[in-house]
Amino acid sequence: MISFTLNGDPVETDAPADTPLLWVVRDYFKLKGSKYGCGLGLCGACSMRVDGQSVRTCILPVSAVADRAVMTIEGLGSKAQPHVLQDAWVAHGVPQCGYCQSGQLISASVLLEQNPNPTSDEIDAAMSGNICRCGTYPRIKGAIQDAASQLRRETDSGNAS
Amino acid sequence: MTKPKKQTRRTFLKLLGVTGAGLVIGITVTRDRRSPFPANDLALEPDAFLQITPENVVNFFLPHAEMGQGVYTGLTTLIAEELDISPEKIQVHHANAHAAYRHPEFRMQITGGSTSIKVRYQPLRQAAANARALLLDAAAEQLAATRSDLTTANGDVVWNGKHFPYGDFATTAASLKLSDDASLKETAEFRYIGGDVPRLDARAKTTGDAMFGLDVEIPNMHRAVLVRCPVIGGAPKSVNANAARETDGVTDVVTIFNGVAVVATSYWQAKKAADKLEIEWDYPALQRQSSAEIRAAMEAALEHDDGKEIYVEGSGAAALDDANSVVEATYWAPYLAHAPMEPMNCTARIEDGNCDVWVGTQVPELARGLAAFHAGIGKRHVTIHQKFLGGGFGRRGMADYVSEAVAIAKESGKPVQLVWSREDDTKNSYYRPASLTKYRAGLGSEGRIESWSVKRVGPNILPHIVEHMVDGMLPAATPDGIVSWLSDRPHGVFKSLVGDPFSVEGLFEDYDIANKEVRHVTHDPGLRASYWRSVGHSYSGFFKESFVDELAAKSGKDPVEFRLAHLSDDSVLRRAIELAADKGAWATGSAPGVFNGFAAHTSFGAGVAQIAEVSIENRKIRVNKVTCAIDCGVVVNPDIVKANVESAIIYGLTAALYGDITLVDGQVEQGNFHDYTVMRMADSPQIDVHIVSSTRDPVGVGEPGLPPVAAAVANAVFAATGQRLRDLPLKLA
Repeated sequence: MISFTLNGDPVETDAPADTPLLWVVRDYFKLKGSKYGCGLGLCGACSMRVDGQSVRTCILPVSAVADRAVMTIEGLGSKAQPHVLQDAWVAHGVPQCGYCQSGQLISASVLLEQNPNPTSDEIDAAMSGNICRCGTYPRIKGAIQDAASQLRRETDSGNAS
Repeated sequence: MTKPKKQTRRTFLKLLGVTGAGLVIGITVTRDRRSPFPANDLALEPDAFLQITPENVVNFFLPHAEMGQGVYTGLTTLIAEELDISPEKIQVHHANAHAAYRHPEFRMQITGGSTSIKVRYQPLRQAAANARALLLDAAAEQLAATRSDLTTANGDVVWNGKHFPYGDFATTAASLKLSDDASLKETAEFRYIGGDVPRLDARAKTTGDAMFGLDVEIPNMHRAVLVRCPVIGGAPKSVNANAARETDGVTDVVTIFNGVAVVATSYWQAKKAADKLEIEWDYPALQRQSSAEIRAAMEAALEHDDGKEIYVEGSGAAALDDANSVVEATYWAPYLAHAPMEPMNCTARIEDGNCDVWVGTQVPELARGLAAFHAGIGKRHVTIHQKFLGGGFGRRGMADYVSEAVAIAKESGKPVQLVWSREDDTKNSYYRPASLTKYRAGLGSEGRIESWSVKRVGPNILPHIVEHMVDGMLPAATPDGIVSWLSDRPHGVFKSLVGDPFSVEGLFEDYDIANKEVRHVTHDPGLRASYWRSVGHSYSGFFKESFVDELAAKSGKDPVEFRLAHLSDDSVLRRAIELAADKGAWATGSAPGVFNGFAAHTSFGAGVAQIAEVSIENRKIRVNKVTCAIDCGVVVNPDIVKANVESAIIYGLTAALYGDITLVDGQVEQGNFHDYTVMRMADSPQIDVHIVSSTRDPVGVGEPGLPPVAAAVANAVFAATGQRLRDLPLKLA
C-alpha cells in the first residue's frame, strides 16, 4: 500500500509500485482531468502538482509520491469555485480541443505562486514543458499575464485592508 | 492463437480507387429508422437537432465533432440566434452516428474540409426558426391568444408583458404541424451571430470535466495495448505470448488482423506485458522503402515521366516557348504525422448482439460501419457514443483504431479500452503524403507571368482513404464471390488514378495567368496517407507562394504589388492581401535585423494573406510575428475565427520548421516529441489576425490559415539571407 494525499484527501493504493502516478490517478481513483500525451515526460499533458511543483506524472512511479501531497486539475478549482487562472482561461478563450489544458493550468499555477510578476521570457521558460497542438500559446500567455495582475491586485488590496 | 481475418475487401478496393469519390458517395445508401436521440413523447422534437422538453430544457444535438475548431459554440450560436435564446441556455450533446446528421455535401456523417459552419449556416438557422414559429403557434392555441400579439425573448414566449418559458408549450407544439419555411432574421437583427459568444466548452475544458474518448469508464472495462507490425500493413505470423500471459493483471492475449493485443485490468499492466510479446511478422512490400530512395525515385519520375495532364488553360506549357525568360524551381514537402495531443483510443463492448463504441471521431458513420464489420453484426446493432476530440487535424477522419478496438473486444469477449501510445500514434498515422513539385513560368516584357506550368510527383490520398472505408461502407450484402472475382482481376488501376483533386489543389488556381498546365505523376511508395490539416494545400501553399515570390524577385517587383497585378478586382485573395499589407505595414518595411516575407493562398473558400517577420539567431530561423488577414465570408464568431487562424499558423509553423516523417526499411523512424518536434510556447510568434468584412455566405476557417505560412517564412528567410529554401522543413544552408 502506498499512501499520499490527493487533492487534500488522504488516499492509499495497491497499484503496483512502478505504475506511473498518472495511471493510478486515472485508472484507480477515476480522476480523468490529467491526460496521457506522450509517456516520456515530454508534453506535460499529465502535469500534476506534487508538493507544490509541476511534475510529469506519466514517468513518475506512484511509489515516489508516498506521503507527499498531489494536486490535480480537479483540486485546482471547480466550475463553482474556479481558480483565477481558470477564469482567465475562459475569458481569453484559451481552450480549443482542450486536451492539454489541465497540464497547462497546473504549470501556470506553479509559476504564479513562485513568481507573481513573470516576464514574457519567464512565462516561456515555465511553460516550456507543456505542448499544445492547437497552438493556444499566445492566449495562454495572455491569460497568465492577466491572472498575474489580478492576483497582484488582490494581494495589494489585501495588504491595504 | 486465432488466425487473422483475411481482408478480401481490401484488394477489391484497388479496383475502385479509380472511381474513389463516386464510391464514397454511392455507398452510403442505408436508411436509419432509429430515433437519433432518446425520444421523449412529451417533448417538441421538430428534427434531429432539437428537443425542447416540458421541463424547459432545450437540447441541441451537435452534428459535427468538436475537436478544437469551435463548432460546439458556433453551431449552437446558429440555433440560439433563430430560436431566440441565449447560447449558454442550450444543452449541447454530441450527436451519435445517425443518417440524420449526414453532411449535406459529403452525404456521410463527417467533420472535415472546414465545412461545418458553411454547410450548416442556413439549415440550422432554418431548423431553429421553424421550431420557434411552432412554439408561437402552440402558445397562441394554449393561451387563446392572437398569434401576432405574441413574441419571444431569450427562451420565453412573451404575451402582454408576461413571460412563459418555451417548455410550457413543448407538448402542444409537438402535436402541431411544423412548417419548414419560417422567415429568418435579417443580418442587422443578429444578436449572437457576429458577436463573440464565449466558448461554451471553455469552462469544462479548464476544470478537467470535459469528457474525451480516453476518459470513458464503463463497467468491467479492461485496457488493451496492441502491438503492430513495425512496418504498417504487416500481420503477425507467429506469436509467443507465454511471458505476457503470466504478467499480473493480464486476462487475454488475442491476435487480430494487424497485430497482437494484450488485455489487462489496468493500462500499465497491459503495457508492461505487451513488451514481453515475441512476434514474427509477415512484412508488407513497404519494407523495401526508405526515405532517401523514395526521394531519388520521385526525382527520377519528375525528370523522366511526363505524367498525366490534369488541367490546361490557353496554350498550356507550349506558351513557355514564347516567354522573354523562363524561371523554374523544384520544391519538396515530406511525409507528416498529425500528432494530436490525445493519442488514438477507442472503447468497445459487444454484448447481447449489440456493439457500443465510445470514441472521439470525425467520422461516426464510418466508425459504426467498421465496428459492425469487425463485430460481425448489422450496423443497426451498433451505437457510436461521440466524445470530445483531443485534436483531430484529419487523423480522426480515419477510424482504424475503432476497427482494432472492436476486433479486440470480439476476440477477448471483454469490454476494452484500446489505448495507443504516442509512439503508436506517430508510427501508425495516415500521413500527409510527400510531394515533389516543379514549376516553370514564362515572364513577359512587363514582368507579368505569361505562362505557368507545374508538375507534382507523389502519392494520391484517395486510394488510401477508399481502402480504409471499404470494410465499413460497402453494403454487407455484397457477395464474397463478387469481391473475390474483382480481387483477382489483374488491373493496375490503383496506381493510374488520374486527377485526385487533393493531390493538385492549390498548385495553380489563384493567379490570373493566360496559359497554365498542370501535370501529375503518381508515385506511391505505399505508406498509407490521408487528410492532414488543409490536405493538398498544406504543401501547395508553400510551393506556389515560394515560386511566385521568386518570380516577383526576378521581375524586380514588390511581392505584394506583383501578386495583386495577377488578381482580378473581385478576388477574395485580393481583399485579404490588401488588408494584411495594410495592417502589417508592408510598405513601411521591417525593423533592423528583422525581415518580412509575404504569402497568400486561397483554400476552402477563404482567402488568407500573411506577413511573417523573421530574424536569424544563431543560424536558426526565428519567427517573431505573423500578421494575417482572412476573408471567410460572414463570421459567426470573430474570436473563434481568430483562434482557428492562430492555431493553423502555429500548426503550419511546426511543419515549416520541424516536421519530417522518414522511413528506414519501411519503418517510420520518429516516435515521440523528442524526434518529432512540435512548436512550443517560447518559439511561437506573436500573431495578429484581421478579418475582412464580408457579406458572402460563410466558408472555411479551420484550415485556410495554414497553407501560406511556410512560404511567408521562407520568403522572409530569402529577404534575410538571399537563400531560397525550397525543401520543407526549412533549414538554413
